[in-house]
Amino acid sequence: MSLRRLFAVMRKEVLHIVRDPRNLFLVTVSPAFLLVLLSYVFSFEIKQFSLVVLDLDRTSLSRRYLASLTSNQDLNLTHTVTGYDAIDPLLLEGTVDVALVIPPGFAAEVRGGQAAQVQAIIDGTDPFAGSQAINLLSSLSAAFVAGTATTGPVMASQPVEVLTQAWYNAGLLSLHGMVPGLLAIVLIMPTLALALALTREKETGTLEGLMATPVLGFEYVVGKVAAYIITGQVSALLALLVAVLWFEVPFRGNLALYLLLAADYFLACMAAVVVVANYVKSQQTAMFIVLLVFIVPSFFLAGLITPVSTGSPFSVLTSYVLPSTHFVEISRVIFLKGLGLAQMVQPALILLGMGLVALALGLLSFKKRVG
Amino acid sequence: MFVRIWNVIIKELIQFARDRLLTGFILLAPVLQLLLMAQNVERGISEQPVAILDLDRSRLSRQLIVDLDNSDELQVQFYVDNYEQIHELLDGGDARLAVVIPAGFAERLLAVRQAAARQVQVQLFADGTNTMAASVTLSAAGNVLSRFSADLAVSSGLMVPEIIDFRTNIRFNPTMDIRDYTIPAQLGFIIYQVTLAVAALGLARERELGTLEQLMVTPLRHFELTLGKGLPAIAIGGLNFGVMWIISLTVFDTPMNGSPLLLIALSLLFITTQVGWGLVLSAISRTQQQAILFVFIQAMVDVAFSGFLVPVKNMPEALQMIARFVPLQHYLAILRSVMLKGAGLEELWRNAAALAILGIVMWGLGLRAVARQVD
Repeated sequence: MSLRRLFAVMRKEVLHIVRDPRNLFLVTVSPAFLLVLLSYVFSFEIKQFSLVVLDLDRTSLSRRYLASLTSNQDLNLTHTVTGYDAIDPLLLEGTVDVALVIPPGFAAEVRGGQAAQVQAIIDGTDPFAGSQAINLLSSLSAAFVAGTATTGPVMASQPVEVLTQAWYNAGLLSLHGMVPGLLAIVLIMPTLALALALTREKETGTLEGLMATPVLGFEYVVGKVAAYIITGQVSALLALLVAVLWFEVPFRGNLALYLLLAADYFLACMAAVVVVANYVKSQQTAMFIVLLVFIVPSFFLAGLITPVSTGSPFSVLTSYVLPSTHFVEISRVIFLKGLGLAQMVQPALILLGMGLVALALGLLSFKKRVG
Repeated sequence: MFVRIWNVIIKELIQFARDRLLTGFILLAPVLQLLLMAQNVERGISEQPVAILDLDRSRLSRQLIVDLDNSDELQVQFYVDNYEQIHELLDGGDARLAVVIPAGFAERLLAVRQAAARQVQVQLFADGTNTMAASVTLSAAGNVLSRFSADLAVSSGLMVPEIIDFRTNIRFNPTMDIRDYTIPAQLGFIIYQVTLAVAALGLARERELGTLEQLMVTPLRHFELTLGKGLPAIAIGGLNFGVMWIISLTVFDTPMNGSPLLLIALSLLFITTQVGWGLVLSAISRTQQQAILFVFIQAMVDVAFSGFLVPVKNMPEALQMIARFVPLQHYLAILRSVMLKGAGLEELWRNAAALAILGIVMWGLGLRAVARQVD
């Protein structure tokens, strides 16, 4: 092995990246571009539910009850109907999320000290939204009850007071949680570029040309990966700038550590792609594999939206073999918690281990193909 | 004419079958993907690790801890002695929520009947890095605490119990099964990926390899070439849909409340629309690499606006407008409505019409783009 040849491959590869505008876009700018796009879509705040009401009581108390439910902005009274039959089509079309039925005799029962039944019909299609709606309605309803039915001093009617605090992200701004997490997904783009570059050399036949030179398989692969990791660092930096300047996400950690661990992440992803590229003949297939193996599962399994499921060993394993799972954690810890390497030893070492093992496998299988 | 289209179709299918790896990937990967994801979304956000700092250590505080542990969302895993340890557990991501029960908790609550009664403060600290998990755990703990509080108030005569008996009735997905919600969407999404990618690469590949010129000297007309390229992609997408649909019904017991025929018809409409767009992308790309880049960015945009991960209703108005032009968004709405709600064409005609219009526009653009590419 010679360092000179390794550097020659690296240099050639960097030139390839810099000279081809599309490739340059893919490796450097596209992560920042995708980050802007995805962040806007993913940073959803708590949803407003639209409500349809069937008030069969029509008393001042039932109106007061409704007014207290809709007094804040979370529930939005959009429809008032006069019969049960009108409720179902609205739910079926999805124009309302919740229907509330106040029975006849509601006020009389409440005044008489009996329990009045109020029925809420909830669209359960989306279980997340559905349970949110149930929680919201029952707490608003309980608040109304507490306001009208207290016999003692109002303060003491709720003996336990709850003080909540969200650490690291005080306002629970979803943008601040999502942007660092999404970095893990958008930083797969340089890996895609490498996958395409490796297969393109095969498809266009330039690999044969390279094999006729004294360059060894090792030098070829390592030189290529190194070139993409180095240019990938530019994309990591650009994406960071977008996160901090555009989205104003706090960056509490260390910049050098961020770049070091981004390189670690690139290594893990790119080494896996080297193995894959040894068996793949076309760019088309390479793209499919990167898309279906790295990118799409990352949205579900990497702990981006819901935390990594610890339900079964199988689901834990599938999440942990995805490099993005570890980088979602690393990125959030650096951005929001501002902690040092000591708190991230585990994900950092897992990524490094994955990278080195995959690179070794890639080199072994590569030699066979060339020789 | 039909013979010529047929010939192009056969040629496409032969080429497709020759690339073994790609064939295997397109036919098998979606199935694996469905199995894998269904496995993982099963539980949603449940049993999140909770740390407890109990400074009271009374019967009442232990009762509260049991109540917290009994909720589906929370699982008490750590008992700590001081605030310092809470910091460590939240920093390390080992616990997602910390609950601090103050000293004198039981004493003050039991004295609640007396005039000098004071409220007791329970503190909740959540790890806000994952906002969804944080709000779910906070609201779960908040609910447990307010129930606990209300029970105490009732038992000490401060409040009349159950003055409003609040009943909830959940429609369409009565058990609130997360799988039933996500699987139809995953089904749609996976079909989307495959169809678009197959369609998008066809022409760019011919152009790059120089075989497009050979096709140009044959008597093939533009629309025959376009159809010959598009129909196999539709067939592959349709096959994928069939396999995955059967898997989701049999393996995952996803409900099928609406008309299967309607679902099949609308799925074919969607696949056709999507293939049309793929043809446009492939006709305007000069190289495969460019086509791949287009498909990739297109896929990201479509996923973002599809309502797959984030309900469209939650988006700002301007983004909701954009979402109307994304076929995948209409198709996911159709899949969920037909399979879970049992909706028919009366409820879905808007989505169906949008798909049809988008389809016509895309095939029109596709034909023009192919004509320009070839000439």
